[in-house]
Amino acid sequence: MLTLSVFTNGQAIFQTPLSPRVTGYDIIGTLNTTDHTVSGKMLAWWVNTSAAPVPDALLHMYLNAFSSTKTSFAGAGRWTAAGDEGWGWVKIKSLTDSEGNDLSGQMKYISPDDGNVYDKTVLLVLLAKPVEPGDTLRLNIEFESKLPSPIVRTGFADDYYFVAQWFPKFGVYESAGVRQREADGWNCHQFHPNSEFYANHSVYNVSVTMPSEYVAGSGGVLIEEINNGDSTKKVVWRAEDIVDFAWTAWPGYKIVKDKWRGVDITFLTFQKGLRISDKQLEAVKFALEYLDARVGPFPWPHLTFVDPPAAGAGAGGMEYTTLFTSSGAGMVPGFLKVPEMVTIHEFGHAYFMGILASNEFEEPWVDEGINSYWEQRIMDNYYGDGYGMVRLPFLKASDTDLGRSSYISSPSRSAATNDLPSWMYPHGTYGMMSYQKTSVWLHTLEGIIGTETMDNVFREYYRQWAFRHPSGRDFINVVSEVVKKEHGDRFGEDMNWYFDQVLYGSGICDYKVISVSNSKITGYTGIIEGGDTVAFARSDRKADSLYKATVRIERIGDMKLPIEVLVGFDNGDEVRELWDGKARFTDFEYEGTRKVVRAVIDPENKIDMDVDRINNSWGRDDNFPASRRMMTKYISLIQLLISIITI
Amino acid sequence: MGLFSVLKKGACKTAGSYKLLITMWVITLLMILLVAMPLKLGLKLVFSKSFAADKLLDGFDAGLAGDMGNAFGNLLGSATFGGFLLLLTGFLLYTFFAGGLFARFTTTYGSFKVSAFLKSSAHHFLTFLGIGLIMLLLIAVWTLVIIGIPAAIAGTAADDPFAVLTVTKIMIVVWTLGLPMWFLVADRARIWVATTGIRRVFRALGAGFSSLRLRFRVSYLAVLLVFLVNLAFVVLIFAFTAGAVPEQGFLITLFFLATQALFVLRIFLKAWRYATVSELTPVSGQVQ
Repeated sequence: MLTLSVFTNGQAIFQTPLSPRVTGYDIIGTLNTTDHTVSGKMLAWWVNTSAAPVPDALLHMYLNAFSSTKTSFAGAGRWTAAGDEGWGWVKIKSLTDSEGNDLSGQMKYISPDDGNVYDKTVLLVLLAKPVEPGDTLRLNIEFESKLPSPIVRTGFADDYYFVAQWFPKFGVYESAGVRQREADGWNCHQFHPNSEFYANHSVYNVSVTMPSEYVAGSGGVLIEEINNGDSTKKVVWRAEDIVDFAWTAWPGYKIVKDKWRGVDITFLTFQKGLRISDKQLEAVKFALEYLDARVGPFPWPHLTFVDPPAAGAGAGGMEYTTLFTSSGAGMVPGFLKVPEMVTIHEFGHAYFMGILASNEFEEPWVDEGINSYWEQRIMDNYYGDGYGMVRLPFLKASDTDLGRSSYISSPSRSAATNDLPSWMYPHGTYGMMSYQKTSVWLHTLEGIIGTETMDNVFREYYRQWAFRHPSGRDFINVVSEVVKKEHGDRFGEDMNWYFDQVLYGSGICDYKVISVSNSKITGYTGIIEGGDTVAFARSDRKADSLYKATVRIERIGDMKLPIEVLVGFDNGDEVRELWDGKARFTDFEYEGTRKVVRAVIDPENKIDMDVDRINNSWGRDDNFPASRRMMTKYISLIQLLISIITI
Repeated sequence: MGLFSVLKKGACKTAGSYKLLITMWVITLLMILLVAMPLKLGLKLVFSKSFAADKLLDGFDAGLAGDMGNAFGNLLGSATFGGFLLLLTGFLLYTFFAGGLFARFTTTYGSFKVSAFLKSSAHHFLTFLGIGLIMLLLIAVWTLVIIGIPAAIAGTAADDPFAVLTVTKIMIVVWTLGLPMWFLVADRARIWVATTGIRRVFRALGAGFSSLRLRFRVSYLAVLLVFLVNLAFVVLIFAFTAGAVPEQGFLITLFFLATQALFVLRIFLKAWRYATVSELTPVSGQVQ
């Protein structure tokens, strides 16, 4: 970390760095609220930790995603500027290395993901000389960033600014072996509609000059705020070991402060948003408490989150590790816990992508899917007695079940496997696959291996991979390792059989109770042999009291998961059967005086992947009070409406 | 006649017409059951003997929607479309009944049998339908002018959606205070038809508007009061119906009976306005 001491001039947050810190940025910028630009100078550095010289550098130039309607981000009508001043871009005015070599002639835009010539979000810079192993590349960059409008993740709306993806930023140089990579190389993707994060944990010293009346916040610690005496002020922040640096400024922000253990929480909201600031802060603290206990510590002493006003709503629901945005405060009825859900989800990214810096472009499930799983656990744990999203007398919805519904009711649930890069999902399945299907199979995994083991998986995942770049395969390896340690060979040599189906496969899981029958075992009826006479025997069915009960189960889907079947008898007995679920069908047979009165597959609803739980059981009596009640409500509602619409 | 005296007389007259109100209730219920029963059967078929139905016991569990698959969409679609048809039919039915009720409340002597009620209903139906549709149109325009346009202007002028909300709230109060006047016009127009026997929609509406000034203060206050009572009652029924979650058969039967009793009361309150305005309106000819 010798390089760190050379480039950092702010106050250190951590005495011992949390991450390897192979990149860092010292940025001095000015927010121009007339032409909506941030112009500045930057010293960006990168350490070559590989074993070979590197002749070039790849930079994210993500604001260029807003430069036309032909970019990979804005294409197909996804975004267009609000008038001529709405276009966004980032321009490099000058680029030199530490020896003063002008590299501005050595730049060219590339489109490694889709070959889109209109997309200028990845810049390749040929260096004057290769960076030797262990050496540091230092680039002096003068740049101008024009913020887009309307805001999508980043941009401006009138005097509101949310400034993200705003400066040229290094891609990740991966050595062979990192994320199972075969050879060294840059990993730098274009800016896509569905993904934007894969970066090194970095150190940021950022200074922004802006009009004095603006209230600003960022993912860094506020070092100082200096009044320049000319109606402007300089705000200086420092951030350590985060993967991206974003900031926001708006004259209308209201600041609410709170604290959770050693973490200073700053909440930036608007006047009316103050009404639910307690709920928002509570949500963050729930998430901090839950993830701290079950995954690992939240290491930063600071956390800022923002509830943008309506004008800046496009910035809502985003994550920049120690800065994130919620949405919907005051706009959603109190019974619907959407703002809390967004807050918890976006905070969760501090872990899943922030600390555990996976590649959102290539494996969105590792980022969004795992985070959604934890969001659902937190929501249903703290809110609504298991029904974290809505808990009304007549309607209830758990966050987990809503996620599951999104997957099981999707007509395209088998259209693709779950391991595709974000821009490759077909038929609009990105969200359903990356967020929901992943969370569903993680809940199912939890059901199979147990909650305690699941928590230990994540503790180990955190322990091994915090402040590194884990891949999906690395996560799977941790699962196998922990399951093997805690359950021996109960689930096989490893857990690949599970991930081969849920992640790398596209089949569905559906088990069904086909039938339950109870037939009397009758005595012998027929010819009795012996002697010269023919005799007949006829059993007395009424006198017979033995039954052969049969429960028939079938596997409808392609997925094979171990399942439990609870069989209930008329004398109150219960038998719990275990089935590996591999064959297409199985029968459970019982002989005796008791009759089977019910059969329930997966009685504790552990297998969330099962796409139809209605066919999982048999035996409810025909009385159906819920349908009567619902019809009574329907009748009453229609009566009421008729009486209202007639004058 | 003072305000409360009129209200009391109207209430007594409405209570005296209980057979007519019960007739209205029975016919409405039978009509709705035609749609509700198949829906109930459909729900039973979806769940068959599955214990998944238990998740419906404590309110509707939204998580079940996915498991129900297409059946959920089909049932919801049927309930929505069926509900739309019921509302349309219900509108026509209650317009029909209004004819009988106004005939009853403007008849100052003798008994009024159900057959006479239905006959009067049929007699006035088309005229009342015309009056009802035009008045609904006028109320829609009133709503647009009082709530829609100010909210739109506020929405354009202010970025803050809460400003729109505040403006909308204020205008809803103004709208509510103005609504009784439209009711008064509609009721007086229908009273004019019932008493003169002339089945001319626009003449009736003209009579309704021109009679607005007659005993305006008492009439307006009486209709406003009855309207507010009706409004509170509708909110009460809705809260009760939505919030109650009886789980067992007997309790569900009680729940059904309670909702029906409340609906009969709701019909009573609606008819109360008709009777009260009838009390406040001079006999035909004078309101022309």
